[in-house]
Amino acid sequence: MPPAGIWIDGLAQSCIYVTMAFGMVLVFSILGILNWTHGQFFMLGSIIVYYAVTAWGIPFPIGILISGLLVAALGVLIKKGILDRVKGDLYVGVVTLALIFALEGAASMLFGMEDRGLAIVLPGVLDLGAFSISYQKVAVILFTLVVMTIMYVVLNYTKTGLAIRAAAQQPQAASLYGVSVQKLSLEVMAIGCALAAIAGCIVAPLYPINPFIGRTPMIMALLAIVIGGLGSLTGAIVGGLILGFLNSVIAYYVSYLSEVVLFALVILILLVRPQGLFGEPLK
Amino acid sequence: MKKWCVISVVLLAVVMVLGLNGSAAAEETVVVKVGNISPLSGPAGPWGQTPIPAYDAFVELLNKENPKVGNKIVHFKLIHLDDQGTPEGGASAAKRLVYEEKVKFIVGHWSWNFPAVAAVTNPAKVILVARNGNESVPGGAYNPKKMPYVVFGTPSYEEWISDVKAIVAAYPNYKKFGIVDSTQGKGIGWDYADKELTASGIRFHHEWYPVGTQDYTPYISRFKEAGCDIIFGSGDVLAAMLILKQRWEMGYKDWVIGTSGAMLDPNMFINVSGYDASQGFIGQNAAPWHFKKTKINPKYIQMCEDVMKIVSEKQGKPYVYEGWMDWVPSHLLIVLQAMQKAGTVDDTDAIMKAIRGGTFDTPAGKYTMSGAKTYGSPIVFGTAAGICKIQGYKTVFLSENPWKPLP
Repeated sequence: MPPAGIWIDGLAQSCIYVTMAFGMVLVFSILGILNWTHGQFFMLGSIIVYYAVTAWGIPFPIGILISGLLVAALGVLIKKGILDRVKGDLYVGVVTLALIFALEGAASMLFGMEDRGLAIVLPGVLDLGAFSISYQKVAVILFTLVVMTIMYVVLNYTKTGLAIRAAAQQPQAASLYGVSVQKLSLEVMAIGCALAAIAGCIVAPLYPINPFIGRTPMIMALLAIVIGGLGSLTGAIVGGLILGFLNSVIAYYVSYLSEVVLFALVILILLVRPQGLFGEPLK
Repeated sequence: MKKWCVISVVLLAVVMVLGLNGSAAAEETVVVKVGNISPLSGPAGPWGQTPIPAYDAFVELLNKENPKVGNKIVHFKLIHLDDQGTPEGGASAAKRLVYEEKVKFIVGHWSWNFPAVAAVTNPAKVILVARNGNESVPGGAYNPKKMPYVVFGTPSYEEWISDVKAIVAAYPNYKKFGIVDSTQGKGIGWDYADKELTASGIRFHHEWYPVGTQDYTPYISRFKEAGCDIIFGSGDVLAAMLILKQRWEMGYKDWVIGTSGAMLDPNMFINVSGYDASQGFIGQNAAPWHFKKTKINPKYIQMCEDVMKIVSEKQGKPYVYEGWMDWVPSHLLIVLQAMQKAGTVDDTDAIMKAIRGGTFDTPAGKYTMSGAKTYGSPIVFGTAAGICKIQGYKTVFLSENPWKPLP
């Protein structure tokens, strides 16, 4: 049985993937596109909160808010200015791939490539006898709970949330009932990008910050939504949880073969259940 | 009288012209272009960019001395190109240097694309001064017959082993050494390193992690179960910072953590890993003024100190990076001294002949090229192999283990 630290770390990893995957699925549900730039919004979130705290002296929680709003605005600009002008899912996918390198390059030029850190935010360790956990990881877990609770309330008890769910299930019927799908798509893009940025912010005290940190979380978020079921918000949460724990536990047992085993397990899940755990059966 | 005056003036003019031409011939200045390929973009970009101002300042100081090869004054012109840390980038940069810039020498190479770069430089008879690693041990990519124009000016492989010995000297009561590297570095070189460590009586345990890993908790747990209390990596700074932080959070505060390679800036580790967790972190030290067991030429110590001052003044803040001294400066001085021995600036066959088995003096120390038996050619230079640790917000010299040449 792995030690307690492995499970706690798995939970912290899960929180990151859940937040990332949730935003990706939201965008996919309404826009019908896999936003490959999702990882770079994560990266921008980290960088903005870094400067908010260190250069402008803004408290970390406010920095997260500012980061989320700024990246949401950027997401909307990209949607309106670039993605809406490209026809065809393939070409939209290619454009978002190209944006990966464009955003990383821009971040490299503006912020430099060296590693930065926010270890000064919530330093210290909570000693629980048998194991210890950093306050930063506790914050990641608690903050994810708060974000997911807010999303639950928004999606189930607000007009925007109901409109999102309606448009995700039946976009044409939703528009007949007066839902502006075009306006909704911008709102969803904003929320999705903000979630990626928030994920980046909450891990900023845990890991080094540089223009290239978005790649791995993007891949893991993609895996999470594939495991959970493309288009399923519940699936994104469950997929993220499974992936985070598996990643930690498998590495404990098989060390560097963890990626091989993890991806093999993902393939196995998809062979047994191609639509993912919570997705609609494929026709 | 008038006739004799005219003849005298003409004779004087002839003598002056001949004399000037003679001096010009003796004082001809040759500009030798030298290439430097390293990652200037991408995740490894900071490690390629940071030493460049120091390299340029060193070359300026060297040129001011007007070194001579035969009766020619040699001035070096360093050309920096980005290899993006990839084989394609390395080959592309090498081709530009060789075929467009017409360089005969490439120095300071440390990227992981040695085979791709060497495949361009060797057929063109361009001398490549690089580091060794997995590719250079018997069975690796290096082949002395196919790559006759390669020099291992920085013995990274042997230096890592020396670093481990220096750490053990500093912490003789250690329980077990934990060696950590990404799967990218897995190769036969590690088999040789393991043999050498075992022969030296060092207790160790290896862990490998996939490239891009951010959560090292599983590996730290495995090190704990193996009984390790010193963890030393092979240059992945990101991994080192995260292991440094995560082992502290897991409660293993008395562990010593380090990685090979000089630190760009100790504050980078403090910002990412936390002040308390970072104290005692070990990195390589290349600053020649620290070494006691290896004698370094005082002239080169002074040059290196002057470069630090010049770059600090130019950038308007202290330049703290010390890892540049045993790369381009050391490699360039090997090339220059070999030119002087061979009496030529562009006959790379003659210069390589002077390098093989030759003795050279650089800021890394004075060594004779070795490796005839192990590498198939005596082209491996030495290093003073020192380590430092973070203390406060700075680094302090910790220990050194004089390098011994391989047969």
